[in-house]
Amino acid sequence: MKLGFILGEVGSGLRRNLSMVVSVVLVTFISLTFVGTAALMQMQITQMKGYWYDKVQVAIYLCGEHNEGTNCAEGAVTEGQRGEIESMLGSAAVKPYVENFEYESKEQALTHFREQFENSSMSETVTADQLPESFRVSLVDPEKYQIIKELFSSMDGVDVVVDQRELLEKIFSIINIASFVAIGIAGVMILCAVLLVGTTIRLSAYLRRRETGIMRLVGASKSSLQLPFVLEGVISALIGALLASGVLWAAVRFLIDDKLALDYKDTAFISTGEVFMVAPWLILLGVVLAGVSSLVTLRRYLKV
Amino acid sequence: MIRFENVTMVYDQKSRLGSENARPGLDDVTIEIDRGDFAFLVGASGSGKSTFLRLILREIVATGGSVHVAGQNVARIPSWRVPKLRRGIGVVFQDFRLLPQKNVFENVAFAMQVVGESRSAIRDHVPEVLKLVGLEGKEKRQPDELSGGEQQRVAIARAIANKPQILLADEPTGNLDPATSVGIMNVLDRINQNGTTVIMATHDDGIVNSMRRRVVELSLGKIMRDESAGEYTSMIPVINQDGTRELRQADHSTWQKPSTGNQAFAPFDTEDDMP
Repeated sequence: MKLGFILGEVGSGLRRNLSMVVSVVLVTFISLTFVGTAALMQMQITQMKGYWYDKVQVAIYLCGEHNEGTNCAEGAVTEGQRGEIESMLGSAAVKPYVENFEYESKEQALTHFREQFENSSMSETVTADQLPESFRVSLVDPEKYQIIKELFSSMDGVDVVVDQRELLEKIFSIINIASFVAIGIAGVMILCAVLLVGTTIRLSAYLRRRETGIMRLVGASKSSLQLPFVLEGVISALIGALLASGVLWAAVRFLIDDKLALDYKDTAFISTGEVFMVAPWLILLGVVLAGVSSLVTLRRYLKV
Repeated sequence: MIRFENVTMVYDQKSRLGSENARPGLDDVTIEIDRGDFAFLVGASGSGKSTFLRLILREIVATGGSVHVAGQNVARIPSWRVPKLRRGIGVVFQDFRLLPQKNVFENVAFAMQVVGESRSAIRDHVPEVLKLVGLEGKEKRQPDELSGGEQQRVAIARAIANKPQILLADEPTGNLDPATSVGIMNVLDRINQNGTTVIMATHDDGIVNSMRRRVVELSLGKIMRDESAGEYTSMIPVINQDGTRELRQADHSTWQKPSTGNQAFAPFDTEDDMP
């Protein structure tokens, strides 16, 4: 009965204050969508790191005929130079850092290139001679890339040593910046949401001052006076959080699962599973913020 | 039932010094109101009647002395127990304060819902209370379909719905015509006869004079008189030698010779209510 009564009060509060409630729902929805987006982008980075860091290698590109690198003055790499590099990779000084390495010839490079740019017209025009041969080195600890670079950069026949991780880092830093932007927008929007919840509760307390005045006089407990207002804020935020979760799910489902993941098969993408990990936190965040904000407002604007 | 011991209530203590508003709402008031009493609280606006009632409700806490309600020092009640104190006190106002979107039954039921009464208790008890205040058959009316007197009856029904031991009425007949007021007073009297202590602040001299109940007169926060079957005012009109009329305190020495009275009170203060 008591619960029913309080819920009835909540219902009447929501109805009477509908426009404010709708705005709280929308602002919470937008702000939590940004929070969720940032979280998902970070998860995407983690996902890609886990997937790629195992596969990326340090590539030691060898001189081709037309290279202008400092070690390539004598034209294309010779058999001897190639052998020296290979034995260097197997030497005691280098071995502890190297997990394994393999040689990639021009023909193999072409095959890989064609695979990678399957849909591009470029793959048709490139020939094996235009691609450099290389050693693909997997490192025990990818952070030790500098050592390999120092050792091999100066060797004859080596054009350039490239850490493929650096390319990935660029992608990650772009995603990182995007997620920081999202967090920044989310921060401002959350501030808006908190203030708006406060204003809404204040207005609601004002609209219902007759009821609360009478409730106080006939001896309503502090909790039964405050609970309808707090629930009003929390329910609005909850709806907003559910909307945000729904939109994130739809975005991941239709943009990533159905499109990006199909277009780029060799890249790891987050999926709706990640959304289900993020959504409970969004809901918790929304509910806690709204609850705290309403309680703080009531402390000032509702006499108990 | 209600005991004030040297109660002083100073509003806005910071500006006490030198400010004209510094006079206290109540000034060293000691009084006891017994269980089952019916007491009128009279006095000019600003004399401390509302302060008196609000202290009983613990809407405010006395700055000096102690207020005891049903054996408890209200200042010592922790804030989370205050609702329990208020459940034992019904309050009626001059402006009824009904909820306009609820009908008569719902208005009375509201008080019971708030304290968590069961639906069946509400269904049983509300009609009884409405009958007690003389509103049988008007359960479904909206407040704006009722006369002022009927609205006040609803307010009284709501105030006593939770069977309080004390009923405070702050000028309950202030908005009503004399005939309707008599009806309201009969309701309050009936409630009093059921054992409820009633304290009624009023400006209605006709009612006070005809009821012949206990009268406590406050002036500037002090108790001027406390009579067991008193009248609204103990002042009588006198005509001064220059022909002006004024009201003077009628104590028995001046009753025969009013012209020697030396203390004059304006019966109706300016309407500067206490905050």
